[in-house]
Formats: sequence, structure tokens, C-alpha cells
Amino acid sequence: MKVSYNWLNRYFHGQLPTAEVLVEKLTFHAWEIEEAEKVGSDTVLDVKVLPDKSMWALSHRGIAKDLSVILNLPLKDDPLAIKPVLEPKTDKIVIKIESPNCRRFAAALIRGVKVAPSPDWLKTALEAIGQRSINNIVDASNYVMFDLGQPSHAFDAKNLPGGILVRPAKDGEKLAALDENEYTFTKDDTLISSLDGRALSIAGIKGGKNSGITDATTDIVVEVANWDPVSTRKGAQRLKLRSDASARYENGIVPEMVPFGIQAVVKLVLKVAGGELVGYTETDVADDTKNRTVSLDLSKINSVLGVDLATSDVTDIFDRFGWKYEMDGENFTVISPFERTDLAIAEDVIEEIGRVYGYEHVMAVTPEPEPLKEVNQRFYYTESIRETLTGLDFSEIYTSSFREYDEVKLANAFAADKGYLRSTLRSNMTEALQKNAPNADVLGLRQIKLFEIGTVFSEEGERSMLCLGAQSPSGYKAKTDDPAISEAVSALSEALGVAVVLQGDNAVCEVDLGAILPKLPPVQTYQPAPTPIDATYQPYSVYPAVSRDIAMWVPAGTASSDITALLKEKAGPLCVRATLFDQFEKDGRVSYAFRLVFQSKEKTLEGGAVDAIMDGIYQAVRERGYEVR
Amino acid sequence: MEKEKGHRHPLSQIMTEVNAIFSELGFVFAEGPEMEEIRYNFDLLNVPKDHPSRDMQDTFYIENKPDHVLRTHTSPVQVRYMESHEPPIRIIVPGKVFRNEATDATHEAQFYQLEGLMVDKDVSLGHLKGTLEYFFSRFFGGKTEVRLRPSFFPFVEPGVEVDMRLTGDDAPEKLRGRWIEIMGAGMVHPNVLRAAGVDPDVYQGFAFGMGMDRLAMMKYGVDDVRLFYTGDLRVVNQF
Repeated sequence: MKVSYNWLNRYFHGQLPTAEVLVEKLTFHAWEIEEAEKVGSDTVLDVKVLPDKSMWALSHRGIAKDLSVILNLPLKDDPLAIKPVLEPKTDKIVIKIESPNCRRFAAALIRGVKVAPSPDWLKTALEAIGQRSINNIVDASNYVMFDLGQPSHAFDAKNLPGGILVRPAKDGEKLAALDENEYTFTKDDTLISSLDGRALSIAGIKGGKNSGITDATTDIVVEVANWDPVSTRKGAQRLKLRSDASARYENGIVPEMVPFGIQAVVKLVLKVAGGELVGYTETDVADDTKNRTVSLDLSKINSVLGVDLATSDVTDIFDRFGWKYEMDGENFTVISPFERTDLAIAEDVIEEIGRVYGYEHVMAVTPEPEPLKEVNQRFYYTESIRETLTGLDFSEIYTSSFREYDEVKLANAFAADKGYLRSTLRSNMTEALQKNAPNADVLGLRQIKLFEIGTVFSEEGERSMLCLGAQSPSGYKAKTDDPAISEAVSALSEALGVAVVLQGDNAVCEVDLGAILPKLPPVQTYQPAPTPIDATYQPYSVYPAVSRDIAMWVPAGTASSDITALLKEKAGPLCVRATLFDQFEKDGRVSYAFRLVFQSKEKTLEGGAVDAIMDGIYQAVRERGYEVR
Repeated sequence: MEKEKGHRHPLSQIMTEVNAIFSELGFVFAEGPEMEEIRYNFDLLNVPKDHPSRDMQDTFYIENKPDHVLRTHTSPVQVRYMESHEPPIRIIVPGKVFRNEATDATHEAQFYQLEGLMVDKDVSLGHLKGTLEYFFSRFFGGKTEVRLRPSFFPFVEPGVEVDMRLTGDDAPEKLRGRWIEIMGAGMVHPNVLRAAGVDPDVYQGFAFGMGMDRLAMMKYGVDDVRLFYTGDLRVVNQF
């Protein structure tokens, strides 16, 4: 929620510390601040109010109240301190409620207003938090929503002769709303209508286009109500129409806010648009004085938070909140303020104590080490599969669980090419082999050998699979009898102690680990974990590589590493890899064959440039007295 | 001939390391299904139907399976494990999770989460802090500080965001001395304990959830999470 520093400061006689300090205090004691932005002479904070506190904190009063607790700085005047009495009453507006979604309803009739642009202070306040100023009446209603959190709506009174009917919509009924869109309703939606049933606005969500305030309006009806959170949420979802008002109802702003809201709107309208209050009317209100209480004790507080508070620390925080409470030794009973239904159990109150006191006081305690009660069999054996396969030069890939088309369909896919869940690892494996094959030289691989361990999905459910794949760089697809695969299969069978049978064709095949693992002996301890690697990722070049081979005769006993060093030195920085791929000895000499791979990070290399480098290499090799073959 | 050598995927390496570190404290590697029942993913975790807290995670639903989702977090395993085990409980849950949102360099629709749960008679936020400091110090090397900020997740109360800061000389330079927001955590909500058959009047505990991809990105200097899922050996073979 966008919160204006200047607006907040009106709650404190202008005594607030700087906006920077507020950001710091709110961050560590209340909510994240997503952004703090200078707007004219104001600073606007984007406060990330989360669902647990949204029933009272989506308002400047709510944020100001919390700041007064955090800063230990009393509010100048808390608008929720005294319960309002709605007087005088009028019988000029009758309220008829026919929908169960309405939890409370009040209306006020004001005559003789003058619709005009808002005074500067009001315009500035709304515009600072990103709201458009419409006219003094609409702005008054909006101001109160952002000030107290209570939404309201103003109608031109001529649209409501005699009163208001709150009723369920008819299936297929339509209404053009203030946002210029026409909405079609079901019987689960609730509409506010004239007594004769003419739809005027969508309850708790949006006003109607043709019933609001115009320049010609002189008499208005202010409506302030409370709507069922779940119905409002469902309605807003169904209509794809989330508004500042519906968000507040969804989050459970309490019905007791209605009289506070309507009194504030009426007061502000009279101030900025003149006119005369004819009177209020409201639905029969059940006794809402019942108190919600929460009981907790000091030892629970300290044991949850990991702190060492005394009773006086706790009561000090209660006093800063202004909560009523009873204390019996180290036991407390707190009466929740009416607007805070988030304080329902001890842990809710403990959180308030913790955040106000400050989580920086929580002392770190490392749990005493305990022996492992269980070894995860699946993890144990997949680790040994990884060990076996990487030992045979297979590299591990993780691929997407989504496919363009498969068996199990997502109901709300994000992208058309990710609409299904994979039923096999083989499709992704085939694609990965093809993608990697052209990079074999850059990677220094003679054959691309891959494996993946992952979950697949079918109508029957999910399974954990192991998939193997092998492909030579030329694009030739190995067959199932490819030595790489058969070697891997027998090594796996040996490592696991059961025959591993893979399903598939060519050299892309997989096996259901769920079928193998239960057959394996239970294990009591993990193998020692391999030493963690200390790698730093380097972005790879996106430009094509150029390969050149060089073979030479060298005297027996010449180490290949010496040659590699020479080649690398002469080849320069464009040479990304020098791989020895063949060697044999004959007549006291050794033949070495190397493949050099050249690649630039900036451009596509031209063959001529590589040939020039190779010429330099040939020369250096000959100067060493080696015979280039 | 030069010996070729296969490579473990960086996320597997992270998983191995994470399990080794938490094993030292007695945390058991637990797991659960990726396609999860809605009641485990939400209801039993104190995320009621038709409540705004369900909007906190963008969820993939399954066609013709209205009671299932792709799990949005590894937290369902908290409930599954507590249903079948008596406290004291110490588990970690490394596993794949899914979020229905646009992908970019720091967001993937699928990623790996590391859940942690400790339940006993006197577990506090202090144990959370101590456990995480122990883990980060071992994982990143050197000294790590952890700080907590107030937050909200329906399955914990109180809920916190956790920031960490590496202060050791051997910490990666890009990370050294800087506070980094790393995870959400808190004290397990009594409703979650109760739903899983654990008496909240006797037991309490902490839970946390962080991104393993994020751990890998920080540790290895990877700047794009999507690189982990391309199946490209130009990435994997660097590890």
C-alpha cells in the first residue's frame, strides 16, 4: 500500500522522525518497504502489508498506529478511539437487505452539496499516493478509505428515491461500472439497487457508471457497508475486477468500522462540498461489544521467541499498543482491539511482542547435534547412481518438467509450449543430446553421454525415473547396444546389486527407480560426501567454434603435457581447448595427435584467422625439432 | 589419452552438501510428491480456501484433478512427516517446486526448495537463528550472521524473513559484508501442528524454506537460474 509521509505525520503533530528512519523502523519491526519515493515535498512509502494484518493496516491510521507503538510516540488523535453515534437519524432512506453477503450497512443523506474540484490539500494527498482526483465528493470517499481503511460510495440521491435495496444479482444481469466496462453477473453476486430493483453498483467492488456524482448533483446518499470476505473475493475473481475496496473486504475489515467510516465521510463532505446532513440510517446492528481475549504466559513468550523478557517488558509493550489486559503473576489476558481480528491465539500476540521488542535480541542457539534417525534410501542410492555414472563420463542434466504436449495437462498453463507435464525423461534427453552434439569439441568430448534423475507424471501418478543418453558428435545416434550404454547398465547393476533393465530405443533409455529401490538392501549411514567443489561459473561463448587437428612425432619419453603447454602458449587466448586424442609409439618415437578448438567471446571466427594461428603453431613445433605429420 | 570425466549437476552438488551439513545436526532428509493434494499444499498448512493468503503463491492446477496441484513449496512434507513420526523431529526437505509465474534471470516456474523443520518441547526462534548460522557458515565458509525481520506466512506464527551476511575473509567477494534476503521462516503455526497430529500445547518448532537454486547461484556465481534447466553441458561441465 502506498503511504504518504506527510499524511502519517498529521497523526503526530508533525513530530515524526525522517522518512529514512521510518523505513528502517518499519522494516525491522513491521513490514518490508518495497520502495520509498520522493513526490513533491512528500515521501511515499510502498508498504508491503501482508494478509495477516490487512484487515486493519491497509490504511494510514493503521500504519500510524503501528508507528506510534514502534516509536513509542503517542498518536495526536486516534480516530478509532471513540465509538461514533450516528445522529440524527432520518426516515428518508429505507434500507432493505436481501443478500446474506451484507454484514452491516449504513447510509447518510446530505442535501445541497456543491460538486467542485477538491481543495488543494485533498488533491495533493490523493495524488501523492497515486490516486486521481475526481471531484470533492468522490475524493472525500476515497480519502477516508485510504485514511481509515473503510471503503464507501456516494450516489446521486435522485437515483435512490426513498431508499436502497441490497439484493443478489439475477443470472445474466448486466451493469456498466465506473471503469466503463459492462459486467455480467450470476446469482452469487450482490448488487446495490434502488428500492424498485434498478441495479446501481456492485456491492463491495465497484460503483455503477450512471448512478454516481455529476456536476449537476446537489443531494447525495453516502453508503458505507461491510461485505462477506469470501463472497467478495469470489465475486471479484469471477468478474476479474479487483478494486481497492474489494481488497479490503477480502482481507476481513471488521463490520464495526462502518459507523467510523460513514461519520468520517459525512464530516469531510460537509467540509469540502458544503450541504446539510439530513440524517443517517443503518441496519439493525447486533451487539458488537463482545470482547475477544487471548491468554498467554511469560514462559511461553520467552520460549517461543528465544528471549529473556520480564513481565514489565511485556506489559510495557501492551501499554504502547494501548491494549486492555489483565495480569495474574506471569499470566496475561489481552483484550484484542475490535479492529484487530488477527489477534486470536497466543502466538499472534507473541509475534507482536517479538517484533516490537526487536528480533535482533533473539540469541542464536545451535541445536545439540543428534544422531541421524533415518537415512533416505532414495537419496542414498541416487547418490551412488551419480557416482557410478560420472565415473563412466556421463554428465548429469536437469530438464524442464513441462512439455508442449503429453499426458497430464495443466489447467492453467503459463505458456502454450509448457501446457503438459512430462510422462517420460526420454523426450528431453533426446533434445539435450542433439543440443550438445555440436559443442562436443568445445567441451572436449568424443561422445555426448548424459543422465537425468527426475519425476515424470501420468494418469496413474508420478514416478522417479533414471534416463541415460549417448550420442556421437556427428549426429549419429548410438544404438541400444552402444558400448557406452551397455557399460553403464552393467556398472549400475553391479553398484546396486540388482539387474537394471532400461526401456527405450537407440541410446536413449530409462528405468523406473521406484521399481528398483525397494529391492535394494536398507542402509544405515550415508557414504562420505564428495569434497564440495569450488567452482565459479564462466559464461560460455555463443559463437561457433573452429577445430583444427595437429599430429606430430616426438622422441620417446616426451610428456604430452609439455606439448599441450607449448600448443596452448602458441595458440593464444582464442584456443579454448587442446585435447590429446590419439597416441602411439613406433621405432622409439611417439606420435601425438591433438585437437585444438578456437572460439571467440566476441565474434564468429573466420577460418583464415585460425589458419594463421595454426601456421605459427606448426613453426614452433618444428623449431622444437618435432616432425609434424 | 586424456581421461574424460562426467559431472554432477550443480544442484545435485548443492543437495549433497546441504544434506551432509544438516546430517551433522541430525536433520533427516525427507521427501514427498511433486504433484500434491491441495489439502497438504494449502488447507493443512493453515492456508484456507478462498482466503487472500492463497494468492501469495501462484499455483499450477491439474486438468481433471481438481484436488491436486503442482506443489508450490516443500512445506506439505512438514505435515506428511509429522503425521507419521513422533516428535522430536528434525528434517530437511530438498525438492522441486512449481510457481505459475513469468520466468526471468531470477525466476523459474520450477525450482528447488530447501525446507527445514525442527519440532520439540522447547524450540525457539533462537534455534532457528542458530541452525541457520551453523548451516550458512559451513556452506559458504567462514563466519555468517543471520538477522530476522517480521513477515507473514500462513503456516508460521510468528513469521520472519531471514537475511544473511557473510563476513569471513574467504567469502565470495561479491557477497562479502552485504545483507542478503535469503528465505522465509518462523515458528510452526499451532494449527499446522494440530492438523498433523502434534499437540501444540506440548510441542513447538521452527520451519524455514529457501531456494536451492539461489544457494547455487550465490555459491557458484551463476547469474541466470534458467541455466540450470537447459541440459547444456557448457554449464554442467563447469562443475
